[in-house]
Amino acid sequence: MAHNKHGHITRRALLKAGAALPFVGVGAPNVLSQPLPKSPTTVLDFQTNADVAKAEQEGQLVFYCHENEAGTAGIMEGFSKDFPKIKTSYVRAQTGALYSKILAERQAGRFDVDVIQLSDLAPAFDFQKKGGYERYESPQSGAYKKDHLSSPNGYFFWTGVDPAGIAYNMDKVSTSDAPKGWKDILDPRWKGKISCKISASGLQFVQWYMLRKLYGDGFWKEFAKLQPHAFDSRVQLFDRLSKGDDTITAIGEYPAYILFKSRGAKVEFVAPADGLVATPLVVGAVNKAPHPEVAKLFVDWAMSKRGQAWYQTNPNLYYASVRTDAPPMPTGVSLNQFKLLYPEDWDEYAKQSATFLKEWNGMLGL
Amino acid sequence: MSAAGSSAESFSAQKIAGYGVATVAAVLVLYPVFYLLQAALDVGEPQTRPPTAYGFDNFAALLNYPQIMLNTLSVSFAATLMALVIGFIMAWILTRTNVPGRRVFEQLMAVPFYLTPLLGALAWSMLGSPESGFINQYWRALGGNGHLIDINTPYGIAWVMALFEGSVAFVMIGAVMKSMDPSLEEASQVIGASRLRTMLRITLPLVIPGVLGAAVFVFAEMLGSFAVALVLGTPNRYYVITTAIYQLIQQYPPRIQVAAAMGTSLFAVMFVMIFIYRRIVTSGSYVTITGKAFRPGVADVGRLRYLLFGVCVLYLAASVVLPIATLLFASVQKIAVAFPAADNFTLNNFRAAMSMNAARSALSNSLILAFATATIGIAMMGLLAWLIYRSRLPGAGLIEYVVMFPQAVPRLVFAFGMMWAWLVFPIPIYGTLWLLLIAYLTVFLPLGVRTIAGVMLQIDKSLDECAQMCGASWAFRMRTVSIPLLVPGLVAAWLLLFIASVRELGASILLMGPHSKVITPSIVESWFGTASELTATLALIQTLVVAVAVAVLVIVTRRISTHSVN
Amino acid sequence: MTPKPHIEVENLEVSFGAVPAVRGVSFTVMHGEQLTLLGPSGCGKTTTLRAIAGLEKPVAGEIRIDGAPIYSASRNTNVPAEKRGMSMVFQSYAIWPHMSVFDNVAYGLRVRREEGAVVKDKVMQALALVQMQGFADRRASQLSGGQQQRVALARAFVFQPSVLLFDEPLSNLDAKLRADMRIELRELQHRLGITSVYVTHDLEEALAMSDHIVVMRDGLVEQTGTPDEIYRLPRSAFVADFIGSANLVHGRNRRDLAKDGLFALETPGGQVIYGTAYGRPAGDELAVSVRTVHLQISPQRPGGERNVWRARVDKTVFQGDFTQVHVLWGDQPLIARCVALDPLPTGQEVFITVDPKRVVLLGA
Repeated sequence: MAHNKHGHITRRALLKAGAALPFVGVGAPNVLSQPLPKSPTTVLDFQTNADVAKAEQEGQLVFYCHENEAGTAGIMEGFSKDFPKIKTSYVRAQTGALYSKILAERQAGRFDVDVIQLSDLAPAFDFQKKGGYERYESPQSGAYKKDHLSSPNGYFFWTGVDPAGIAYNMDKVSTSDAPKGWKDILDPRWKGKISCKISASGLQFVQWYMLRKLYGDGFWKEFAKLQPHAFDSRVQLFDRLSKGDDTITAIGEYPAYILFKSRGAKVEFVAPADGLVATPLVVGAVNKAPHPEVAKLFVDWAMSKRGQAWYQTNPNLYYASVRTDAPPMPTGVSLNQFKLLYPEDWDEYAKQSATFLKEWNGMLGL
Repeated sequence: MSAAGSSAESFSAQKIAGYGVATVAAVLVLYPVFYLLQAALDVGEPQTRPPTAYGFDNFAALLNYPQIMLNTLSVSFAATLMALVIGFIMAWILTRTNVPGRRVFEQLMAVPFYLTPLLGALAWSMLGSPESGFINQYWRALGGNGHLIDINTPYGIAWVMALFEGSVAFVMIGAVMKSMDPSLEEASQVIGASRLRTMLRITLPLVIPGVLGAAVFVFAEMLGSFAVALVLGTPNRYYVITTAIYQLIQQYPPRIQVAAAMGTSLFAVMFVMIFIYRRIVTSGSYVTITGKAFRPGVADVGRLRYLLFGVCVLYLAASVVLPIATLLFASVQKIAVAFPAADNFTLNNFRAAMSMNAARSALSNSLILAFATATIGIAMMGLLAWLIYRSRLPGAGLIEYVVMFPQAVPRLVFAFGMMWAWLVFPIPIYGTLWLLLIAYLTVFLPLGVRTIAGVMLQIDKSLDECAQMCGASWAFRMRTVSIPLLVPGLVAAWLLLFIASVRELGASILLMGPHSKVITPSIVESWFGTASELTATLALIQTLVVAVAVAVLVIVTRRISTHSVN
Repeated sequence: MTPKPHIEVENLEVSFGAVPAVRGVSFTVMHGEQLTLLGPSGCGKTTTLRAIAGLEKPVAGEIRIDGAPIYSASRNTNVPAEKRGMSMVFQSYAIWPHMSVFDNVAYGLRVRREEGAVVKDKVMQALALVQMQGFADRRASQLSGGQQQRVALARAFVFQPSVLLFDEPLSNLDAKLRADMRIELRELQHRLGITSVYVTHDLEEALAMSDHIVVMRDGLVEQTGTPDEIYRLPRSAFVADFIGSANLVHGRNRRDLAKDGLFALETPGGQVIYGTAYGRPAGDELAVSVRTVHLQISPQRPGGERNVWRARVDKTVFQGDFTQVHVLWGDQPLIARCVALDPLPTGQEVFITVDPKRVVLLGA
């Protein structure tokens, strides 16, 4: 991969890796579902249907998020800066754990959460089915393609996309040995030196599903022979990668790559020709929230250009925005320059969850 | 003994206080256990509560995880052996030889306990990882091949566990050695036996029952260990029961039932171990501190002193100095390496750590919580200790079992039961600091009651009886005689509870909520989610702040406990 | 009019779990007198005392003070210790180390909510009575054993309890101090006139201090009586040998030889010894006790026609104030304690004699 002097991937290089975004819609960019119930107000520089004064009175936001500590704190920081009167507090856990937690709480009659962000659509669908989300249609919905909103609109939206390719330690792997495509991660030379994520990760589920589809059931069985090390967060993966504890990671998330590269880590990113696996990061207001106006306000903020810019530029996040008018990422790359791999039929995908868990946990000795 | 008495006795303050606190303790302990067992026996649809069907299928499912069971047993066994060796050697050196600086070393032996196994695991992970570990980097720089040590193996895990939990073994074995009658050894020496022979033929056999008791106790502790296995084991796919439970309930859908069955089986084993321990210990006397403290013979070992001094220094270096130095070294680098270039140094990590909201709130939460736990704890546990060992209220023996029960349950497993138990509780304490307070009070019951009881039993019963004969009611006696005499012991227990609550991990990690983050679990979270340099920084800062807090408290409490009991 | 007893203990039984410590003990204590429970360790005397105090719960029997039951199994009564109005001096003194001497003594008064000035007065008076008035401000933990003992005493009587209980209070003192304290305690008790129940295993203490003694063994009462009665007229072999040292002789009742109100006992060896029955029934087999101090030894035949025999010296043991002489009387060994005796070589023939009034019939 060619690099400019900041060590970022050049536009041209990525363009070489693949251009077509499978979901680039044919239809009109503006697909709104229903007329809005009341007229939106403008706060700061975006439109919102929330009652801002009431929200500020409510004064608190309780946010459940799958991100790591720094990422979640980062999101909260962005919102706090814009709305200093609202105190933020959060709980973070990997998607699997997070979802179990909120379900358990709701079952016991506890409704303490305002907004939840997940890294996997499967639990999002489930939550929608269970009536966990609050149906709130944001005036920002217009800036999103139909596929990046819940169906029907109002339950959740894609606040960004987390693409992942392969990454390796430059000191330990020469350019000639470097992997080029997904199949290269199965090379026996990576045995005991390759990392991945734990089964609670939404992104890992997507990768499992997509690569299985592409390369067959045997793919992951081969992978298991490499005895990979599994971790909770992308930061851990890159931490180990940069220190050489692992030589290569099978699921190198682009945002983490950018972050560590900027710190001077000797890591290299590979975008396989077949595409980067990606999972949507979905945000939605929660039903029976203790601070409902704040929840709505947050959703609007997150969906707005302002919020999306924050998500995209915060070094702990570096999400790729799916807003139709989103600026390019800090690396200069736009999302539609990546070829992304994610499920077409989310329902079928969700049904595979049990199989995934069994196989993945079994691989990890659990 | 019949409970009958004149009506003057029936509603005495004694009975109200005694049975009141006993009920509270029983609820605290048994309520979560009930939920744990319920979950373990739940074979119905996992998401529905209350359970629809009961059965033993979950236990049968445990047979699918033989490796995990084996791992748990083998690493605990290895760790116990190592801890016993460390504890025995240190105890012998510090109580039986004239090694210089004995007093100081004895105090210092508590520091590894205070530093927490988590810190040790983090530091040793940085020291001993096969690729990035500092020791291995130095080894390669010296021309070695590959790596010298790999801390991410069962032996590595056992080593770190032993280093940090070894001080418990030290205290227990030390107590046994101190309570030995020196005339038994003197008799042997007078007959003409050499010192070595005396040690092998007389000392060792006398000490063995106590050591055995310590072994069983330490083994039970190791079974429930969580932090070290989490940091050092999971990267290499080495799971023990506690970390397996943690992973199982983190995923969606969570495997609650299997996790509960695992937890239950672990606690069954620990229960048996503790039972055996109690049998060994009570066949002598339960309280190792007898009224008559012997002064054990201190042997003059001549030149050997300096070697032994070196051994003590070595232990403290491995368990205290090296880990802290390592974390410090890592915290000032951008990317921690053994041979950093000049531009690798930075104070950014400290800046970042100080500004992290979560870190600040976690610190203050932990300190507040520790304060509350210690204060409420000594009142509650003091009453319980009195109830069990001094009052003659019927049923007191049963309460002892209830109070010692949490010893046999790994913290994580207990918290697991508590999660469910307090989730459905009508008062909304779930997710708040109150829940953590209740959890701490529950899991520290054995520690607190045992400590206070130890002091209480040293106080002659007749001091209280005499006050009774002077006409004082129970409440008056408590106030004027019992409590003042207990003050030094209560103060020591308070400090112990404070420290224990600040370092708590297993229960806190499951029960934390958005408004109730506490230190040790947030260091773990940091390890999961931030660069290891930042984690090292956080760990250091938090340790330092707490050390300062404890130092202040020690000075303050020293003023309070000026009374001495003969 | 017979004076009413102060304390009555009736068929008291106390057990520790399944182990019976007191198996049916009865006695009474009159107002102002000191009664001592005397016996070897394990006989149940301390348990009985603690039961009277209310520190142990009996399983059967009754304890009455001035006729009113403070413990009664049948009536389901058990007054708590703090309400019995008694006081106790413990073997370990039980001085509270965190209080001054003054506060220790004042405790019972403060419990009874006496006023400050009254408290001060009474405490200083009590301390003066035990010669500790100079120590009022001393920290209690700084006192010697003897001093602690006195403070414990002052503390016990300062609030004028109706009954004083003593649990072997002198056993931790050295012999000389014990002897002195014994006399002091006795005088104090007389002065204050408080009814006392005293427990000890020390014979001399019991004999010197008591108005009445209850000799206990194995949870039961062996004999009750004044010190003199018990000494002179032991009822059983146990009492005879426990209270001072005694020779025990068994033999046949020779009714044909009885005269002058004395009975005649013939030993298996054929010796005849005359003794006094003191109202005890004389069966066909008799047992008598002869105190070692009453058996007299002389090299020449003494006067008198009864109870004079030849014997051979077996060994002598010098004991300072007396010499213990072991003789063989026929084939029966006897021991005599003699004062100011000229040395007697082993094997020498001597004469032994004893006053028939000193030969006490045992039994019942």
